[in-house]
Amino acid sequence: MAAAVEDPRLLGSVPGAEDAVEVDGAVEEGGRARDGDGDEEILRFMDSVDGYLLLMDSLSSALRQGWLDLASARHSMGPSRVSSTLFNHQEQSASTKLQVVDDADLKPSESKPLFTLSKWGLQEESASNNGAPVQAGSKPKLRHRGSATIPEDGKHERDAITAESSTCVDYSSHVQRARSKALSVFGGLVSPKLRTAQISFETALELIVELANSRSNMLASFSQIKE
Amino acid sequence: MAGRANIPTNSSALIAVIADEDTVTGFLLAGVGNVDLRKKTNYLIVDNKTTVKQIEDAFKEFTSREDIAIVLISQYVANMIRFLVDGYNKPVPAILEIPSKDHPYDPAHDSVLSRVKYLFSSESVASERR
Repeated sequence: MAAAVEDPRLLGSVPGAEDAVEVDGAVEEGGRARDGDGDEEILRFMDSVDGYLLLMDSLSSALRQGWLDLASARHSMGPSRVSSTLFNHQEQSASTKLQVVDDADLKPSESKPLFTLSKWGLQEESASNNGAPVQAGSKPKLRHRGSATIPEDGKHERDAITAESSTCVDYSSHVQRARSKALSVFGGLVSPKLRTAQISFETALELIVELANSRSNMLASFSQIKE
Repeated sequence: MAGRANIPTNSSALIAVIADEDTVTGFLLAGVGNVDLRKKTNYLIVDNKTTVKQIEDAFKEFTSREDIAIVLISQYVANMIRFLVDGYNKPVPAILEIPSKDHPYDPAHDSVLSRVKYLFSSESVASERR
């Protein structure tokens, strides 16, 4: 009897039917899991398409504002002062660039590059915030009020805050200088509308980088679904 | 080393623009303009004198350059070279069709959405599941 139990092949059709039911159940569960994965991928794809269209709508608004400001600047400064004939054709490097992270080992259909904007030569934080800088004074600390002897930790905290604010000032003055250099193509004194047009197009660039990442996600999800 | 991507990981790259004068001017104000030693720029201004051949040549050049990661092209310009834009399928540089002043964005003509639109057809989805 024990041998018969151990070797179900000797027992005939009843254990075979049970095995078939078990196998069918496993196949059905595996099929449900596969369908579940497929549904998840389709949902991810639909989300990325929706995100892409929303970003495109935002981009259209930013560009429209930029064109309007540019037209106002041209109206106040004169058409000859806001024209492509003034573009500098001397050798120059772009101030605003992109950082691209792409896996070289993947096939082009599987590739999912990540774009990050580097405005005015300064690296922006990525969306996933993997490289988020540690904030000064992030550790909770007790404050000592009215104490004659200031603890050493407090001095370090003040130094860190001072360093951070001087970094912010440096950053902002660097950005101002870079912006002024870009505007100087159109002369020394420019209309405020040209400055606001510049800001609008900078916003458009940020949206464009998000669009590029959304496009990568969409195409990657699409490849997964096709497989 | 074999199998390297055109743009190595984490290198800086440019944004190319093929669009009308105002759009190019705006993006140059935002700092994307680049002119190399051979006086080659990363932008092309399209006006009524620009030929389709010039647009095609600019598109082919920008998509083959290793230092360009995104190519922005006005959708109405992309429509002039639609066969080239739709035939492009590399991940980098990414081609993004943008609206222009006189031609708003139309998702029906976007090459990326055209590539994936068959998934939205109920017939094709139903036949895949059968």
